[in-house]
Amino acid sequence: MHLDAEALIDFARGCAVLGSGGGGPVADTLPVAAQAIEECGPVPVVAPDALADDALMLPVSLVGSPAVAAERIGGRAEAERLAAHVAGLHGRPVAAVMSGEIGGQNGPFTVACAARLGVPLLDADSIGRAFPRLDQNVLELAGLSPSPAVLADEYGRTVVLDHIDGAYLEELARQVVAVFGGRAVSADYPLTAGQAARHAVRGSVTRAVRLGRGEEPVPLLTGKVAAVRRPGDGAAGVLLEGTGADAGRLVQVRARSEFVAAMEDGRALALVPDVIALIDARTGWAVPVEEARYGLRVRLVTLAADPVWYTEAGLRLAGPAAFGLDGLTHGPGREEAR
Amino acid sequence: MTVTVGVDVGPSSTDAVLLDAGRPVLAVKVPSRPGDAVGSLVGAVTRLPADQRARAGALAVGLRVAARAVTGRSGLARVGVLRIGGAAADTVRPLFGWPEELRAAVCAGVANVAGGTGLAPLDGAPLDEPAIAAFGAELAGRAEAFAVSSVFAPVDGAQEREAARILRAHVGPDVPILLSGAVGALGLVPRENATVLDAALSVLVARVADELTAALPGLGLAPDADILVTRHDGTLMSLDYLRRQPGLSLGSGPACTLRGAGLLAGLRAAVVVDVGERRARVGVLSGGYPREAAPGERIGGVPVSLRFPDLLTVDADDHRGIAEAADRMQPAADRLPVVLVGGGAPRVPDAALAGFEVVRPEHGDVAGAFGAAASPVGGGAERIVHRPGALDAVRDEVRELARASAVRAGADPRRVRTVLDPEEFVPYLPGAVLLRARAFGPPSPL
Repeated sequence: MHLDAEALIDFARGCAVLGSGGGGPVADTLPVAAQAIEECGPVPVVAPDALADDALMLPVSLVGSPAVAAERIGGRAEAERLAAHVAGLHGRPVAAVMSGEIGGQNGPFTVACAARLGVPLLDADSIGRAFPRLDQNVLELAGLSPSPAVLADEYGRTVVLDHIDGAYLEELARQVVAVFGGRAVSADYPLTAGQAARHAVRGSVTRAVRLGRGEEPVPLLTGKVAAVRRPGDGAAGVLLEGTGADAGRLVQVRARSEFVAAMEDGRALALVPDVIALIDARTGWAVPVEEARYGLRVRLVTLAADPVWYTEAGLRLAGPAAFGLDGLTHGPGREEAR
Repeated sequence: MTVTVGVDVGPSSTDAVLLDAGRPVLAVKVPSRPGDAVGSLVGAVTRLPADQRARAGALAVGLRVAARAVTGRSGLARVGVLRIGGAAADTVRPLFGWPEELRAAVCAGVANVAGGTGLAPLDGAPLDEPAIAAFGAELAGRAEAFAVSSVFAPVDGAQEREAARILRAHVGPDVPILLSGAVGALGLVPRENATVLDAALSVLVARVADELTAALPGLGLAPDADILVTRHDGTLMSLDYLRRQPGLSLGSGPACTLRGAGLLAGLRAAVVVDVGERRARVGVLSGGYPREAAPGERIGGVPVSLRFPDLLTVDADDHRGIAEAADRMQPAADRLPVVLVGGGAPRVPDAALAGFEVVRPEHGDVAGAFGAAASPVGGGAERIVHRPGALDAVRDEVRELARASAVRAGADPRRVRTVLDPEEFVPYLPGAVLLRARAFGPPSPL
């Protein structure tokens, strides 16, 4: 498969769904990818096992604030500088780009990186959705080291973090990103194609394209946003009121940077790590947490995350308790995943 | 006792109303003169009785010239587009993704020079002054207007102002130079697009502003009467402000009709259906002002940072469509009344809106003109606060910026009221908060 101008839009629409309301607005990075494809050509998408086992992957993600990234849109040389650093650290060239996070704006952003570098995009990513912390990814669960992690800004200022674990990466990277002014491009959890084949979330690029083409699950609820509360610190509550066949139903969707729970009558219809998305009935695009607003017509959909997220270790890293939702029991997404 | 004349220059008819202490006392409707907004206005205003309009101290005008110029790609100035961000902000080039004809109609030349600032003290780069001078020299005599956008201009606009000074030296005193910092919202590409549209509209809008100013003495209003024009958020601005930000008038027609409908019906929260000859527009009033569309709106196919009224448009004769749109726009469980206005409203029977409380206010056929006459002068500002502890000071600063923007737009500085919107957390930037304030006031007496 190739991501050309047309497939890119489907891919981006799917990335927005997999963002579970987080990961930053896809609309900001879609033109970044579109221009890269226009200038450098369509991006081939390859499965990890189509590459040599020891081929060096460039795992990339934008980290920091999407609001800052919407202002500092980045430079064309950014991916090349980052790739040169990573290649230098590992002593061989980068063979493919892998998205650090398929959900939200990182999906299209990594397409742009692959296009500019002239390498394929791996049909895999490190999460399978979006999560707020850098160490909330399946490579951490697989025991891979996050270091040497490389953080760079659009001027090419670079920080290498070495000999650290995932929790330390999260702490230190946030400090670096703050000094960078709220935006950086990160290459963390460096890996080979073989490691990606064994440990990454496989097929996530093609999954996003399929989702974007309309292979959407049956909605849990069709309705409208009746209230939005934002107590701060990324927490938000969105009250959905059913319409049409769902009239009379009320569902509360809770967010902690991402949508993390959909509750009806005290029961979880869906619960993190399930993907929970509100699809704007008018545009067909998933709605970021920060853009949920009163009166919006939406479909509430849920998708199972990668099965590894439902293991004991996965739930400890990014399950309900990691988002302050202790005591909530799992919704139907978990059964589907098994 | 304040008397105001409100005018709505629509595509088919031009409406004028006379307001005395907020209540309509007279309304007239005349056919619009195609392509002549000011002639249409004069035709309508002079139909109001001379003794009545002689008491009017303000003329509030709803114009659609900007919207028509963008959709019709006519009357647009050729713009020199200068971005300040250099190689650190070139993944999306200026005007990327614009519809080709619009780009061709607007673009006189594009440059992206080094510079830009940020949230952290060490962010950003020095301004490449020679490159700006070269751009100004290259486009002098060719560009009819300039749009300047720098990275993080809403936080620090100094480089944009410096760039404007350099350009001015090359292009002379008469070419409009518009700065993105005045447009305000964060998000470089949509803010730049909005600034380019402002610049593209500036020549046309300046001509209309001149015509309005020239026509004013002949309208027979009070000797010191002032002219205000409507904007997208349901407030008013002065002609000078319109010259600086013509894009603010985009979407102003529906915004004023929504406000006028609510005021005529005595409702601050309502679903409003404006039925025209061919199309019906359905919007929502919340707190007396139009509910905004979600971010990411486009005008003429271009994503812009402007916030437009949230509208659904359906065929005016499709009554089922109107009912469905009125239902879709209902914000929540408590059903809002549906206010029917516009010239085509009588053609929509109550039965088509079964289940809604339908309100048909008197003078609903001139709701736009009424909304213009009865609206305050407005302003707004937004800021991202990154340092914890600074919040209180920045709250005051944002309020003050909004207040100053309303005063610049023509509000009476003594009577401006500011409203701080609910603070928004900035995702993934710990400690950062987005503050937004709006300001409203009656027109300045000067």
